[in-house]
Amino acid sequence: MQLTTDIYQRIAAAKVFIDQNYHESIDLDRISRQALLSRFHFHRLFTRIYKKTPHQYVTQTRVEAAKLLLAKEGISITEVCNMIGFESPGSFSSLFSKQNGYSPQYYRNIAWLKKKLAKEQPRRFIPHCFIEQYKIDGSPAGV
Amino acid sequence: MITKLSHTTLFVLDQEKAYDFYVNKLGFKVNTDATMGNGYRWLTVNPPDQPDLEVVLMAVLHESMVKSDACPDGLDQESRDAFKVLLEKGIMGAGVMHTNDCRATYEELKAKGVQFKGEPREQFYGIEAVMFDGCGNWFSVTQPKEM
Repeated sequence: MQLTTDIYQRIAAAKVFIDQNYHESIDLDRISRQALLSRFHFHRLFTRIYKKTPHQYVTQTRVEAAKLLLAKEGISITEVCNMIGFESPGSFSSLFSKQNGYSPQYYRNIAWLKKKLAKEQPRRFIPHCFIEQYKIDGSPAGV
Repeated sequence: MITKLSHTTLFVLDQEKAYDFYVNKLGFKVNTDATMGNGYRWLTVNPPDQPDLEVVLMAVLHESMVKSDACPDGLDQESRDAFKVLLEKGIMGAGVMHTNDCRATYEELKAKGVQFKGEPREQFYGIEAVMFDGCGNWFSVTQPKEM
């Protein structure tokens, strides 16, 4: 059955609400209220449209947000955990590892290494044809 | 034999604006964000399900790309002016992005402030809406028809 524009707008509003409030303590009650739908109907419609449950989407959004924060310096992993709405570093770490296949610390190490390399040797990340064509690194002609 | 596309370029006037659109609104992932000694920012992003495709958000009017003795293949003034006009008019591009549900994506992105040419429409290949990236390019957002 084709969903109405009104339903799409309600579900999309709830998704945007998650995107903007994932770091808070949000549960199905609170999210479904954004869509002005019962928990049951909201859960069914959200899952139908996005092919994942609201809970799965909240978790995925938090994990993606964690990746951005882990790549930054000056924030501990416990602080990252708190900033994205997880209550316990242990559960955050185990969920992150389960979803990605590596721990938050490992992800951080790799992200920092890449950042360091990008800062010190940016040309390693750029196909040479771009450098040759546009000299975007300021290198002289012929280099 | 060519096997896949690894890099493609989107010319943009404002990289920060492009970053906000592709990363914060569309959910692309930053692949590389590196600044050269001359200030040029090499910024590439991956579509959510394509970690091996880098979309280069290229600041086409950066001074390092101006045609000169050091950069003989760079852009001359006429080309720079042409790029500027086309990007400001928003008629560069285009491309097609896939979504599982075009109407949901349309409503979500519209709520995030993304500009569309019109509402989603049925086409013989699926449901489609055309959006502007606000940086000079436009894309079809397509929900392919299930076979």
